[in-house]
Amino acid sequence: MADATALRAQTAALLPKLTLTLGADFLEAVSSEDMDELALLPGGLPAAAELLRANGFAMLLDIGCTDHLPLTPRFEVSYHFLKFDLDADAPDGRMNSSARPQEAGSAFVPARLRLRVFPDDLDPHVPSLARLWPSADWAEREVWDLFGVRFDGHPDLRRILMPDDWEGHPLRKDYPLRGLDRRFAPGGRTGAVPPVVTK
Amino acid sequence: MEMSPQQPFITTRLDQFLKWAQESAVWPMTMGLACCAIEMMSIVSPRYDVSRFGSEVFRSSPRQSDLMIVSGRVANKMAPILRRLYEQMPDPKWVISMGACASSGGVFDNYAILPGVDSILPVDVYVPGCPPSPDALIYALMQLRREIEAGGKANVLARG
Amino acid sequence: MTIDGTEIGRIDSTAAQHMTRDDLSVFIETPDLTAAPGDERDTLVLSMGPQHPSTHGVLRVMLRLDGETVLRAEPEIGFLHTGIEKQCENLFWQQAITVVERADYLAPLLNGLCYVLAAERLLGIKDIPPRAQVLRVMFAELTRIASHLVWLGTHAMDLGAQSIFMYAFEMRERILDIMEFVTGARMHQSWFRVGGLAIDVPKGFLAKMDDFIDRFPVRLTDIRRILEKNVIIMDRLVGVGAINARDAIAWGLTGPNLRASGIGYDVRKAYPYSGYEQYDFEVCTASAGDCYARFVVRLDEMHQAWRLIKQARERFPDGPVAIADRKIIPPPKTEIQHSMEALIHHFKLVSSGFNVPEGHLYQAVESPRGELGMYVTSAGGNKPWRVRWRPPSFYSLQALKALAPGNLVADVVAIIGSLDPVFGEVDR
Repeated sequence: MADATALRAQTAALLPKLTLTLGADFLEAVSSEDMDELALLPGGLPAAAELLRANGFAMLLDIGCTDHLPLTPRFEVSYHFLKFDLDADAPDGRMNSSARPQEAGSAFVPARLRLRVFPDDLDPHVPSLARLWPSADWAEREVWDLFGVRFDGHPDLRRILMPDDWEGHPLRKDYPLRGLDRRFAPGGRTGAVPPVVTK
Repeated sequence: MEMSPQQPFITTRLDQFLKWAQESAVWPMTMGLACCAIEMMSIVSPRYDVSRFGSEVFRSSPRQSDLMIVSGRVANKMAPILRRLYEQMPDPKWVISMGACASSGGVFDNYAILPGVDSILPVDVYVPGCPPSPDALIYALMQLRREIEAGGKANVLARG
Repeated sequence: MTIDGTEIGRIDSTAAQHMTRDDLSVFIETPDLTAAPGDERDTLVLSMGPQHPSTHGVLRVMLRLDGETVLRAEPEIGFLHTGIEKQCENLFWQQAITVVERADYLAPLLNGLCYVLAAERLLGIKDIPPRAQVLRVMFAELTRIASHLVWLGTHAMDLGAQSIFMYAFEMRERILDIMEFVTGARMHQSWFRVGGLAIDVPKGFLAKMDDFIDRFPVRLTDIRRILEKNVIIMDRLVGVGAINARDAIAWGLTGPNLRASGIGYDVRKAYPYSGYEQYDFEVCTASAGDCYARFVVRLDEMHQAWRLIKQARERFPDGPVAIADRKIIPPPKTEIQHSMEALIHHFKLVSSGFNVPEGHLYQAVESPRGELGMYVTSAGGNKPWRVRWRPPSFYSLQALKALAPGNLVADVVAIIGSLDPVFGEVDR
């Protein structure tokens, strides 16, 4: 395994730069045992993303959301990045036509970083990263679908997992587990499932 | 059915003959939704080999199949599609609800999963298990054959 | 290759090398399937799925076709959305393992492993017994082989080699026999627990493992001889669905999909868990980035997984299979009959679980589909506050938007198969 401390040193060195770039949008930088992370307000996201792109964080691993209700700020949109130094390790990112590897088993260890963005509670919206990283497209749609956080600048923000005419954002903490209604007759012929009581 | 030793023909009644024909070659439709689908694929594999019971092929087209094995959890988005596929199957048709999720919602009692596929389809045989082992599914097929033998949907000519 | 201009042809390796960021952005900017303005071709929008024999589950791919050639592909998911993440928030930490396994249903133990490792890190448990670690590695690799065998059987069947389905599933049955022997269940074993394993392996386990270790390479070699240089397989897979390393990274591909484009990133080597750093195995890569490369990488991975199982068998230690902390792992039943304290521990664990200290972290494991990650947040209670999945198939499937255009409809089937998505984890 490539040197873990060297990798953490890379990301730790980036945190002060990010802090400076964010200015007033900066909330907190933590170097936990897990990975380096930065908490920020949505306004600082484009600048932070550009800085990460410029520093080789080529893979946006995941965009997720957590609802911390009843705490405030309520929504936490989490971004995980992996750093792939393509120029050093795979010189031109191109392929050659052989299907067999040149040197078997050369392992690659990317550095990791997390951003935690805290949008507004009542009208949450965050700038979209879909144009910078194609992998963000569906992930942002899912966060919109399940949590109701809007992504400004996303080309096609619509539901992805729930049916298109669903009301509500199911993974919010104030949305009941069993839902607000059962679309199809509860219990079928046996009627064994009692009706859902709405608040 | 009676076979006459002297003469080379079998006498039977029409509905018995139809029932025998239907139960001996029940062709399922591929309705693999989730984990149960993998166990359903296992019954085609050499160890369990459902084709010896007449289910030689799994047909993808509803027009060519007799049996819909709903194998897996039914999400709200999938339910209308399931209903439409069921309506596209020609009569006589049967439904096996395979697994706990298809029978009753299973482990998932939440906003996303139907509390049993019998909310939208009439089910003939329920198979418990999460997932049911391939043996259990084959047992369910045998139960279905007994049901077909007992009649009901068999004689399509009897309907007006 | 251009999309809205003329020149739509099959993507070959050389063409894909020149795919720039601008080409990629086409798939983001114009998400709907309407034909480009001024496009005179007579095109058809075809909905492939969600009931389809070759989409490997409930997937709808909306295709815009010019004859048989795909111009645009837009996958639509959500037909298996189960609310697993929300269900986890309503179950105790130990109970959620059962539900977590049903996401990636081809590799259930690996989902369980990721979740259990995250919970153990949050709890600060560092002393998982060596026997449990070795068994975790052994069964994780058995699960990997079983999952790849399903992939192989279904992918080959999609390409027409139906008998391979039979071979692969027969081999898989032997693995499931071992699983059933040890844990009681063929799928969804729920055997990995926070703190170790649920129960120890029974007598006769090592004999069964030795038998498997002897038989498996023979069968794998048979299958490789049939498929690897097969003219039809190569015809259908070489040059189809090619993606270069830079784009694979941009789309968030991981696992065999990324390794087939030349980037040797394997979570077991990069961020090892469960003692993987002590084992000797290779990271399987290829460099063409097409379906054939992904095919070969997965076949290689089955061999490496077998090597790992062999090494785990060789170092199989004695000892307990779970930590001794009674506040996490229930005491053995025999003790409960004598000791009041043991009874109270058992009662407390069953009725209200254990509390996990507040915190959040990201845990990743190498699943057969890629990097399976979970970003777990605990609020200090006895139920997880949030389990955010990072499903590898979700990101692989998104890349279909870029991989499918320029190919024939039949190639779309080959590409979906080579990406190996599982819809339980795509939709959760």
